[in-house]
Amino acid sequence: MHMSGQFRPSRRAMLKVGLAGAAGLAAPAILSTSPRAESGPIKIGMPVALTGPLGSVGQQTKRGAEFWAKLQNAKGGILGRPIELVIEDTAGNPANCVRKAQEMVERRDCRLITGITLSSEALAVVPKLTEWDSIFISGINGDGRLTADSFVPNFFRANISGPMGTRAVSLYLRKSNMTKFYGLGLDYAWGHNSIGVFEDEVKNGKKEFVGKIFAPTGTKDYSPYITKIRQSGADAVFLVMQGDDNNAFLSQAQQYRLPEKVKLLTEIVDLASIRAVGDASLGLIGSSRYSFTYDHPLNNEFVAAWKKEYNTYPDTFEGEQWQAMKVLEAGITKAGGIEAAKLRPALEDIEVESVKGKVFIRKCDHQGVQQGFMVEVKKKAGFETPVPEVIATFPGDQTTPDCNKMAYKD
Amino acid sequence: MSTLALLLTQTVNALSQSALLFFLGVGLTLIFGLMRIVNFAHGALYMLGAFVGYSIAAWSGSFWLALAGAPLLVGLFGAGFELTILRRLYRRDAHAFLMVTFGLALVVGEAVRLTWGSDALQVAGPPALSGVVFMLDEPFPVYRLFLVAIGVVVAVAIWQFLERARLGLLIRATSQNADMANALGVDVKMIRSCVFGIGCGLAALGGVLAAPLVTASNGMAATVIIDAFVIVIIGGMGSFLGSLIGALLIGFVQVFGNYYAPDFALAFMYLVMLAVLVMRPGGLLGKEA
Repeated sequence: MHMSGQFRPSRRAMLKVGLAGAAGLAAPAILSTSPRAESGPIKIGMPVALTGPLGSVGQQTKRGAEFWAKLQNAKGGILGRPIELVIEDTAGNPANCVRKAQEMVERRDCRLITGITLSSEALAVVPKLTEWDSIFISGINGDGRLTADSFVPNFFRANISGPMGTRAVSLYLRKSNMTKFYGLGLDYAWGHNSIGVFEDEVKNGKKEFVGKIFAPTGTKDYSPYITKIRQSGADAVFLVMQGDDNNAFLSQAQQYRLPEKVKLLTEIVDLASIRAVGDASLGLIGSSRYSFTYDHPLNNEFVAAWKKEYNTYPDTFEGEQWQAMKVLEAGITKAGGIEAAKLRPALEDIEVESVKGKVFIRKCDHQGVQQGFMVEVKKKAGFETPVPEVIATFPGDQTTPDCNKMAYKD
Repeated sequence: MSTLALLLTQTVNALSQSALLFFLGVGLTLIFGLMRIVNFAHGALYMLGAFVGYSIAAWSGSFWLALAGAPLLVGLFGAGFELTILRRLYRRDAHAFLMVTFGLALVVGEAVRLTWGSDALQVAGPPALSGVVFMLDEPFPVYRLFLVAIGVVVAVAIWQFLERARLGLLIRATSQNADMANALGVDVKMIRSCVFGIGCGLAALGGVLAAPLVTASNGMAATVIIDAFVIVIIGGMGSFLGSLIGALLIGFVQVFGNYYAPDFALAFMYLVMLAVLVMRPGGLLGKEA
């Protein structure tokens, strides 16, 4: 076989293409000037992970933002300016995400960024925001550091953070009779962050934390992890998983009869996973960033409109991204423009009533203070697949950590 | 759980994972052995198999029909692709195949997204295999035992086919020397279409079988293609037995690595590959370096 001989020309050809591409990207963006941003369409850059293991999550942020833009444009946009979403796929890669965001800012005149899918991508983008003179409003990024150690003034988080989701679970657990807990998280920023917060919360609650393990994204066989969880003797395992990994774990856990011995708790319950694994999701208890079953007039209205448009119910990150867009909309209207210098103060201390009730963007770390939800996945008449039903809510002042913190005192 | 029970369940489980990896690796290696094509679309065809399987199961209510139908349809699609597109490129440089199969991966990926949507879909395994058996008091899914069994059956079938069947003989002849086989009156073009189709069908078989474990999702292509290449590189490009050994090695390294040293599990696979390449640059059973 002449492997190396055959590959040499192709590698050289690839390199040529690569160099040409790199030269194109590196060329200075002489044509882009900022003054245009004051009139014309409001461009919102969305570097989204549309493909890769978290592609289904990215597709949700995209749909949530698109639905908002469609309805808003039908009402004449904001400040009389139409809204234009500039959407690109990052495949979930932080370096890609920074590159795409930079192109959006420098070449396509975006001064607003949202829809970034992974926390690792968001963490890679935030250090650039001052240089780009752009505001990034997170619709779904969970990592606690974004409003703590890695906080920058041009970053805002409208969504429930990972620590806040974990906090809701731990407040709920304090009242339960379970005493021993194990943690399984995805092996990247968000997984480590949330499992760490959960571990502290369990210990603060005078209960026992018996171990933790992290799985790389894209893991196909969860049986070694399932075996470890079973061996730990825990009453419950706390999951910080999403996308394909979450589906694989839940399917296989049911096949191994894990839920009969260990209760499954999760930081996020989302509909896409419930649909993908069916009855393997029954009994799952967790916090929910958003649930279409939450009974609130604005939510009922949103769910009805969504159902009419897409013939299905809005999922977790669709609702979360929608709320972020409503916060952004309120901010732009109050500021009378999208320039960072005007929009930043407008968003600080703004309060918006949306699908999850009140969201208050506090000034100190730009975190959206909002209530936390606990849901349980149940069978419900009239629905083909199980649905998450709200079983408890906690006020925002109990679930939101102190300013620039991601741990809780009690 | 006793150590013995742990070793037993994890060993059987590693065999079940090896079976899934084998379906991918053997198709890739058959195609390379015969056509010297590195098929970048292999992961995408594995995913296509899972989605076609989902539709057949949803339409007929039978997992077994999906198990038979999806590999057949994807195999026919693969043979058609060879017939209409790859066939025009044999006189060109090898990088033309890289580009075209990579392009096929992108097209199939996007077509799947447009047809089935971006959400993962549930493919329930057959009800008859949904239970558990107890191995030294530890529950073990029957479906995984079935994967081991089907892996053995398919491996033996392919081996016997290559060794005994007339078409198998022609495939081996063509892969050793295509010009000579052609001169002796073998229809090399037909052989190539067949092998490409069989390779794609095997990938689809892996996809259908994996779907009850991981659901049918858009992300499944990206996560398996690397494993498939690692297996083929370890075993030796073009070697049937090599792909079997590669699949077993990687299956065991992944399962036991994830259990005993989860932080380094990803690295183990590549360390094994590196070790093999250092000792035998052509792979364990590669014919030449």
